[in-house]
Amino acid sequence: MKIDNKLFREHLFDLRPACGTILLVVKMNTLEKLLILADGAKYDVSCASSGVNKSNKGGLGNAKAYGICHTWSADGRCISLLKILLTNYCIYNCAYCVNRNQNDIPRASFTPREVAELTIQFYRRNYIEGLFLSSAVERNPNHTMEKIYQTLAILRNEFHFHGYIHVKVIPGADPALIQKIGHLADRMSVNIEQPSEESLKLLAPQKSMQALLLPMKQISQQIMVNSAERKISRHVPKFVPGGQSTQMIIGASNDSDLAILKTTETLYEKFHLKRVYYSAYVPVNEGPNLPALSSAPPLLREHRLYQADWLLRYYKFKADEIVSRDFPKLETDVDPKIAWALRNIHFFPKEINKASYEELLRIPGIGVTSALRIIRQRRLAPVSYDHLGKMGVVLKRAKYFITCQGRYYGGIPIDAHLIRRALVSPEPHAIQLTLF
Amino acid sequence: MDYLYDGSFDGLLTAIYFSYYEEKADGIYPADNYQYSLLTVSKQVTTEPELAAKVYDAVERKISPQALRRIYYVYLANHPQKENLILRYLQLGFKLGPEVDSYHTHPAVLPVRELAKKVSFEAHRFYGLLRFIDAGNYLYAVLEPDHNILILLADHFADRLKQENSIIHDKKRNLAIIYNRKDWYLTDFPKDIQIPISAKEAFFQDLWAKYFMQIGIENRKNKRLQDHFVPQRYRHNLVEFTKSYAPPSFFTPGNKGTKRQ
Repeated sequence: MKIDNKLFREHLFDLRPACGTILLVVKMNTLEKLLILADGAKYDVSCASSGVNKSNKGGLGNAKAYGICHTWSADGRCISLLKILLTNYCIYNCAYCVNRNQNDIPRASFTPREVAELTIQFYRRNYIEGLFLSSAVERNPNHTMEKIYQTLAILRNEFHFHGYIHVKVIPGADPALIQKIGHLADRMSVNIEQPSEESLKLLAPQKSMQALLLPMKQISQQIMVNSAERKISRHVPKFVPGGQSTQMIIGASNDSDLAILKTTETLYEKFHLKRVYYSAYVPVNEGPNLPALSSAPPLLREHRLYQADWLLRYYKFKADEIVSRDFPKLETDVDPKIAWALRNIHFFPKEINKASYEELLRIPGIGVTSALRIIRQRRLAPVSYDHLGKMGVVLKRAKYFITCQGRYYGGIPIDAHLIRRALVSPEPHAIQLTLF
Repeated sequence: MDYLYDGSFDGLLTAIYFSYYEEKADGIYPADNYQYSLLTVSKQVTTEPELAAKVYDAVERKISPQALRRIYYVYLANHPQKENLILRYLQLGFKLGPEVDSYHTHPAVLPVRELAKKVSFEAHRFYGLLRFIDAGNYLYAVLEPDHNILILLADHFADRLKQENSIIHDKKRNLAIIYNRKDWYLTDFPKDIQIPISAKEAFFQDLWAKYFMQIGIENRKNKRLQDHFVPQRYRHNLVEFTKSYAPPSFFTPGNKGTKRQ
């Protein structure tokens, strides 16, 4: 830390013009295009900027593996990347998509240079963490992917931009083109769109599951090959260092939660995806196979699916344990972990001071962080019930499933029905009586 | 014995040194607004960088590098008893060594961990919530954080915007980080400074604020969630919240616009 007022005075008046700034040719219609192409992109879910640590090697920008959110929009979703489409002119006519070609909406296209300049100008002002570039399919997949490649090449090679770039892969594009882009992007994703082959046929007859999985497979293989090569020589250029993700639309088709979670699990196991995103279908189109325009997006279902996704990734659950043929739907009134605990009530109560890490993770109200804290502290001193709250355990859920130093604090017998009632119906509120 | 220090981190560490090698400290306070009393004896500590360096190294070696980072974060916090929290934490730390952090719920450990977390979380928040204005030959950003986190932002933005001159101004504490494309300095800074907004700058602010309105999905509107992530007290320095626009009507679902070729 250097505090020097004299230096400051000299430097404030000696701020030379920055040579790194790029002049932008302000085009009259930039605003209009931005709004049209942001509107087309906003139903894409992922906005993560995580998974890559990069420092600035003489240009603009860096990246942090933990990811940085820059602001939150009116729907409460984080804005981290400038999420736009290169174009919303589309040859496809997928029933659920706002950009399908039969829709009568304003259409626009950016040139690669416009996107690159916009990204730089937003990034310098710290509005964004990078770019999330997606596109409708204009003419054919290769034509669109070539334009995406040009955008990235301008950003990386001409502007020396080291910030985060997430690219949506257009299935059907040439594998060589995908590979070229993979060396410039931090994360790539292929949208799987629907959880099953049948729903895809119904809603997006021009696409096939086979064609969607092909680029996903290519990227996952090349990531593996690349990381093996980089172990031998660190000079090998990185390929998609932030990994691969995907997203599927929830509620546009009749797929069960079982089908969705099974697909998710397979994707994690087979393609080593970083994330599978779920997008509650917002009705934008009318159609015989679609929910009515007036129906609300299934937000609670999306939320429960994300909870289940967390159980798969961090809590060592298997999809079969969360949903199965006997109970193919996630419960709405309790989260999937409580639902599992209530179905397996014979597993409880667990003694906090004795349970293994895996067992602690299965207790509702205990997460990864609090489980680790319990394990660390109990090596040195027994953990008491009072400690648990301070460690971040949510006692209003956990108390029915644990004993602490031999004592049970739930206050009701350990019975699935009683516990469910206690968890679901909150304490009745005291009501002020009126005089009349 | 109460030790009074000059408010610097070195001063605080010097006081801790004296607490071990001279008389034990009952408390450490900044000299600025100390309430003198008849019952407690107090002594002004002169900051000695060499003694401070000894304590600094001892914390890093005998407790842990994380503990050192933690007490530095607590030192930056806006908390009336922060010096005493650090003192109690170090007293326990020198007794227990690196194991001290495993006693998560110990009354000397828990408040330090929680306060350090608040400070580092706020710094992390401002990695994202800081907004620069292009003022011609330098970038200027203003913030009013709860804790004195300015110094935690310096390295991040100096690396990120390596080729730009920049000023990051903490309006609440009249401090600023000045970066001249080579080094950064923490310095005093006048509270009120007028930055002229050029037409080009206004254009990008406008573009961003309108993009921000556009990207939200109307059917998923969730004000509570947004309030949770972006507290009201930060908003008057965020251009997307100070300029508000309604999204253009032709984008709302079901309402078809005209197709252009």
